[in-house]
Amino acid sequence: MSQDTSNSPEKDAIVRASIDRSLRHPVMFFFTSGAAWLAVSIVLGVIASAKNHSPDFLSGCAWLTYGRVFPAHINALIYGWGAQAAFGVIIWLMSRLSRQECRAAGTILTAGHIWNLGVSLGILGILSGHGTGMPWMEFPFFAWPVLLISYTAIVIWSLVQFRVRPSGHTYISQWFLVASVIWFPWVYLTANVLLHCMSGHPVMAAGINAWFRSAILLLFFLPVGIGTAFYLVPKVTGKPIYSYTLAQIGFWSLAIIAPWTGMQKLTGAPIPYFPPYLGAAATVLIAIPAFTVAANLIATALSSGETVSHSPTLRFTLAGLVCLALFGGAAVFLNLPNSTLPLTQFSLSGYGFDILGLYGFFSLVMFGAIYFIVPRITRREWLSRRLIKMHFFLSVYGVVTVALVALFGGLQQGIGQEQFDQGWDNAAARATPYAIATTLAWCFILFSNVFFFMHLTLMWLRLGRRSSHPTLLVDSHHSSPHGPEGDIDNAGPGTAAASAH
Amino acid sequence: MSFRNFLLGIFASFSLAWGMVVVYPFFKMRALEPIVLTEAADGKDGLYFPKRAGRVANGAAVYAANGCYLCHTQVIRPTYAGNDLYREDWAGLKDNGEGLDTRRETNAYDFEGEKFAQIGVSRLGPDLSNLGRRVEAIYAKGSSPEVWLYKHLYSPRGPVERRKSDCPDFRFLFEEREIKGNPSSDALPFDVAEGREIVPNSDAKALVSYLLSLKKDDAVPAALNFAPAKKKADG
Repeated sequence: MSQDTSNSPEKDAIVRASIDRSLRHPVMFFFTSGAAWLAVSIVLGVIASAKNHSPDFLSGCAWLTYGRVFPAHINALIYGWGAQAAFGVIIWLMSRLSRQECRAAGTILTAGHIWNLGVSLGILGILSGHGTGMPWMEFPFFAWPVLLISYTAIVIWSLVQFRVRPSGHTYISQWFLVASVIWFPWVYLTANVLLHCMSGHPVMAAGINAWFRSAILLLFFLPVGIGTAFYLVPKVTGKPIYSYTLAQIGFWSLAIIAPWTGMQKLTGAPIPYFPPYLGAAATVLIAIPAFTVAANLIATALSSGETVSHSPTLRFTLAGLVCLALFGGAAVFLNLPNSTLPLTQFSLSGYGFDILGLYGFFSLVMFGAIYFIVPRITRREWLSRRLIKMHFFLSVYGVVTVALVALFGGLQQGIGQEQFDQGWDNAAARATPYAIATTLAWCFILFSNVFFFMHLTLMWLRLGRRSSHPTLLVDSHHSSPHGPEGDIDNAGPGTAAASAH
Repeated sequence: MSFRNFLLGIFASFSLAWGMVVVYPFFKMRALEPIVLTEAADGKDGLYFPKRAGRVANGAAVYAANGCYLCHTQVIRPTYAGNDLYREDWAGLKDNGEGLDTRRETNAYDFEGEKFAQIGVSRLGPDLSNLGRRVEAIYAKGSSPEVWLYKHLYSPRGPVERRKSDCPDFRFLFEEREIKGNPSSDALPFDVAEGREIVPNSDAKALVSYLLSLKKDDAVPAALNFAPAKKKADG
C-alpha cells in the first residue's frame, strides 16, 4: 500500500469510492447479465436433468432434445454465468487491490456486450443443431475468436493496473487473479487452435478436450474463486490470513499440479499411456491446494465466529470453502486408478464433480462477492435479509444434493457398468433414481436463485436501501425486518460514515 | 517474491505440463503411420490401415450436433481400465457365426475419417463402438439394418424389451408427408395413416450410415493385438 493514500482515512475513502464509481457500470453489467445467464442455465439444467429419467418430457421439438439442451445448459453456466461473474469480480478486485481507478469502463462495457452476443449466438447455435460435439466447447466455430478477443479487451486493463500499481506488497488474491487471467487465454487458445484449426489425431483431439475441461475448471474458476475468498474473508472479519505460508503452498501446488490433470477421462482409450496416468495422479493431488486453501481461510474466519453468522458475504464464502474441501475429497475419491476411476470414468460422477466445483465452490464465492461488491458500487444496501437467507439455504441444499447424488450415483452406476454378466438394463436402471434426485435438486437451485435474481434486479434498478448500515443476517427484534435504518442516505465519499466500511 | 519470478514460476509450471501432455502428444500422434504387416506374425504382407465405408464425416457431425456422446461412449477399454471387453456384444461378437470371438479393444486406427473421436462423457446408454456389427448380426438379423436403426431413432421405446430405455426419440430427423403420386422409395414401413408416408431426412440418412460404419472388431495386426493368444468362441 502506498504512503500517500493510506495515511489518511479520508483520502483512502475517496480513492475507494472513486474506484467503485469508475467501475459501477461494467461490474453491474457483468453481475446482472451473468445472473440472467445463470437463470437460463438452471432452467436448461432442470429440463436436461428431467430428460435423463423421463425422456418424453418436451420431446416434440428438435431444439429441446437432450443432446442439445444439456450442452446449452453447461455452456451457459460456464461462459454466461461463470465467466461473467468472474469478470465482474476480477476487474473490481484488481482495481481495488492495485488502488487504481478504471479508465476503460466504456471499452470493458462494449467488450462485455460482445461477449454476451457471442455466448447468445453460441447457445442458439447449439440449440439449433450446430454444436461441435466437443464437451464444453460446443459453441459453433465462429464463437471462440469472438469470446477470446472480448475477453482480452475486458481483463487487459486489470493487468495494466497491476503493473502501474503503487509499488509494495502483492496480495495473495492478486497472485490467484493474475495467474487465472493469464491461464485462461492460454488454455482456451491452445484447445481451440488445436481442435478447430489444425488437423490432429481424433483420439488426441478428445484428449485435449478433456484436458481443456479440467484446465478451465482448475486453472480459471478455481483460482478466481480462491483469489476472491482470500480477499473477502480477511476483509469482512478484519483478521489477517491465518497462515501466509499455507497460502503460498496453496497457490504453487495448484499452479504445478492443475495443468497435468484431465486426460484420466481417456483412460483406456488409444492414446499414449502416460497422460491418463499423470492426469489421474494430478487430479488426486488437487486435494492439496483444495484442502490447504479451505483450511487456511476457514481458520481465518472462525477466529471471529459471530461475523460468520451476521455477514451474508462471509456465510456464502465459507459455504463455498467447505464445498472446496469436499471438491478436494471428491478429486481423491473418484480418480483412483484400478479402483474408482474405472467406475466413475463414464458415469454421472463427472458431472457431479464439475457442478461441485462450478456451483458449490465457485458460484457460492461469487454470490458472497456480489453481496459484498454491489452495495459499494451502487451505494445502496441489500433490501432484505430474508431474501438473502432463502437464497443461501436453498442454494446450499440444492448444490450439496446435486453434487453428492451425482458423485455417489455415479459410483453406483459404475458398479452396474462393470457387472458384465448382467444385462445393460441393470446399469441403466441404477442411474435412474439419482437422475431423479438431481432434477429435484436443480429445482431447489432454481427456486433459490429466483430470490437472488429478484434482489439483484432491485439493486440494479437502484431501489436498494439508502442506508449506511449494511444488511446483516442477524435478527434484532426492535428494528424493521430489513435491518437497521441508519442514515437516510449514504454519506458521500470522504466522510466518516463512508470510510467506516 | 518479485513479479518477474512469479511470472517465471507460473510460465514454467504451466508450460512443462502443456508441452508434455498436450502439445508433444498432439504432434506425435498427428500423422499415424500405417502398420507394416509381416508374413510371420500376421500371415500376410502389406499395410494395416483400415478404411471405413459410409457417410462417416457427415454422420459424425449429426452425431455431435445432437449430443449422442453425452450418453454413449465409443471406446472399449483394455481390461486394466474396465470390464468392457467381457460384455458379449460390445467389443465385437462373442461368436461371429463362424465360431470366432472377434472382441478386441479400441485402437487408434478405429476413428479413421472422423475429426474428433467421440470417446464420450457418460454411459447412460450402451457403448456404440460396434453398433453397426451388433445391429447387423443381432438386432436386425435377417432384415434391413438401416430400417432397424431408423425405427430405433424414430421410436426408441417401441419394442417391448426396450420400453425402459431413456433414449430420446429423434422424430425431427424424419418427415411425415402426404403421398403425392407414387410413394417415395425412402418411405419407411412404419404405422402411418392411409395416404401418408414417413421418410428420413438427409441428416437421418447420414447418421444411420455413420452408425452402421461402427464396426471396430476387425482383426488387428500382431503389433496391436493384446488379446491372449488363444481365442475360443466360448471364452
